[in-house]
Amino acid sequence: MANEVKLPRLGQGMEAGTVTRWLKSEGEQVAKGEPLYEIDTDKVTQEVESDFAGVLLKIALPEGEAPVGETIAWIGEAGETVEAPSAPPPSAAPEAAPVTLVPGTTVPGTGSSANGGRIKASPLARRLARERGVDLARIRGTGPDGRIVAEDVERGAAAAPAAPAPAPVVSGEIESVPLTSIRKTIARRLTAAWQAPVFQLTVSADMTRANELVAKARELDPDVRVTVTDVLAKVCAAALRRHPDVNVAYTEDALLRFPTANIGIAVAAPQGLVVPVVPSAEARSLADIARARGEVVERARANKLTAADLDGGTFTISNLGMYGVEQFVAVLNPPQAAILAVGATEDRPVVEDGELFVRPMMTMTLTVDHRAVDGAEGADFLRTVKRLLEEPALAL
Amino acid sequence: MPEITYREAVRDALGTALRRDEDVFVMGEDIAEMGGSMGVTQGLLDEFGPERVRNTPISEMAIVGAGIGAAMAGMRPVVEIMYEDFLTLSLEQIVNQAAKHRYMSGGQLKIPLTIRTQGGAGWSPGAQHAQQLEAWLVHVPGLKVVYPSTPEDVRGLLWSAIYDDNPVIVFEHRLLYPVRGEVAEELEPIPIGKSRVLREGNDVTVIATGPLVHHALKAAAEAEADGISVEVVDPRTLQPLDEEGLVASVKKTNRAVIAHEAVTRMGFGAEVAAVLQYQAFDWLDAPIERVGSKFAPLAFAPVMEQFVVPQVEDVLAAIRRTVGK
Repeated sequence: MANEVKLPRLGQGMEAGTVTRWLKSEGEQVAKGEPLYEIDTDKVTQEVESDFAGVLLKIALPEGEAPVGETIAWIGEAGETVEAPSAPPPSAAPEAAPVTLVPGTTVPGTGSSANGGRIKASPLARRLARERGVDLARIRGTGPDGRIVAEDVERGAAAAPAAPAPAPVVSGEIESVPLTSIRKTIARRLTAAWQAPVFQLTVSADMTRANELVAKARELDPDVRVTVTDVLAKVCAAALRRHPDVNVAYTEDALLRFPTANIGIAVAAPQGLVVPVVPSAEARSLADIARARGEVVERARANKLTAADLDGGTFTISNLGMYGVEQFVAVLNPPQAAILAVGATEDRPVVEDGELFVRPMMTMTLTVDHRAVDGAEGADFLRTVKRLLEEPALAL
Repeated sequence: MPEITYREAVRDALGTALRRDEDVFVMGEDIAEMGGSMGVTQGLLDEFGPERVRNTPISEMAIVGAGIGAAMAGMRPVVEIMYEDFLTLSLEQIVNQAAKHRYMSGGQLKIPLTIRTQGGAGWSPGAQHAQQLEAWLVHVPGLKVVYPSTPEDVRGLLWSAIYDDNPVIVFEHRLLYPVRGEVAEELEPIPIGKSRVLREGNDVTVIATGPLVHHALKAAAEAEADGISVEVVDPRTLQPLDEEGLVASVKKTNRAVIAHEAVTRMGFGAEVAAVLQYQAFDWLDAPIERVGSKFAPLAFAPVMEQFVVPQVEDVLAAIRRTVGK
């Protein structure tokens, strides 16, 4: 019996994944643990290793999206045949019918029409697509082996929103960029975040000591490039330990209070916003945080994050200081109850005891899920963050 | 309209031509007193006498050769090769002589020869008496080849073959002889090179010959129950092929199944598929399916014969594959 390769669940909440590329072709020998294909989940793109050794007998999903648990290939002995589930029976067609455009859709049991860059479409489908200006890459094939047939193009043409939408003022063509999994995830999660009742609290901290700490750390160990973000991660983790009621997630049934402070750091990666996590930041040294943060951010920029890099965050820091942003409001990163938006550190006039000083000041805005955390609690937490930033030694 | 059998239709065409035209005569093995091994020429001897309904020695080469000579001399002979398996013995005469003389004489010679033969499986005739060899002959320039599937068609096409000034091979099928069908009161010639739509449909065209036409009609009726609308087209003439008619049907339905009893590999259907893919490429919504015999000598055992030869279910399965249902 051939082994079924099923679409794996790579992280909590993963319901579907998109196979982007097979690293082995049908008929090729595969060793257990050898990278088999690449998958694009709503969080990451990563290589998946084979759980089986043998010959890759058949690829059921050359490319495209499938729900978790769906059989996407078979591995077995050379010469073995596999019974591929055929397309849904005709009676199922009405349910499957609306599924035409690739983005965000899955048809269990049917593969994608694309195969190694070559789109599988009948000659008639190709002609219709040409005549009607339909992009075959956006059409999901329902024919044998996922071939795009004429009917798919007709449905696709009908479903296409007379694109591009009329915009008389704009000269030139509007480019329609298909949504990536990550873009869709960002949209979905941030829309969900909008449903939480939130409040914002803003403070400014004197960054003199924090800057000194960063400079000293770099001087002591130039190989580990400590940044203000690392200090922020360390400080926030320490503050969360002191204010465990902020290190929570709101659910319908209960508040989940987390035992460790896993600090997510929002990164503008080429593929979109991702939030890799430095787990248990409260237990790590500054250098350790810097190293861990450096690694995950590097992976984020290289689009090599794994699901593990993204899972389990309990609090998020979003720093736009490097862009010169003075202050801003971040949108909650659900299910986390709080996110800290960090602005630029800049010299500002500060009055202390009636005297005017120039100090490197940084303004931070904490966005809080009011269902989980009340205003006073949030304010107390933020005061701790401010104090620890101004006296980082207290975070030790 | 009267209903007659395929066998009677052949006999009617021969009799009508013999009656009408002194140049027409028939010859072959055991066709006179015995009326042919399939009973097709029964009664002709009584009506037209031994000069015009002639038994021959058992030499297929001689039968065709004599026919060619008579045709060159101005007669319209109709010769019978008892089994198309034995056409192999007369191929020299057919391929090198009959097919070539008109061309090589610059049109001075005509060969108005008709070669009737029959074959086909379905009654355990074994490997040497049931082959379908039409593909061998459609490959030769200078020959016309027809393969009618209904009484009406065989009567009209045989008539046109007799009155064509070129050699025409008429393939009949053993199992078609008892098939009944309506024919016009008066014999109506059917032009060589014209296909016929036996059933109209929208989803897939089955291009079938001989007994597979009847298989296709049954499969079409079954497919209809599943909401698949099948068009059945019989080319009737294999050479020259009615490309226009076949292509028009496939352009309408966007899918094609080609079905014949002959072995699929290198068969007549391969040429039809090539014509369709070239002329209807941008209209095809599915790969062209072919249905035919497996690449094996025909078995004698009925169950094995059935296994090798295409059945109604095979046509139906091919129909379903093209529409993905």
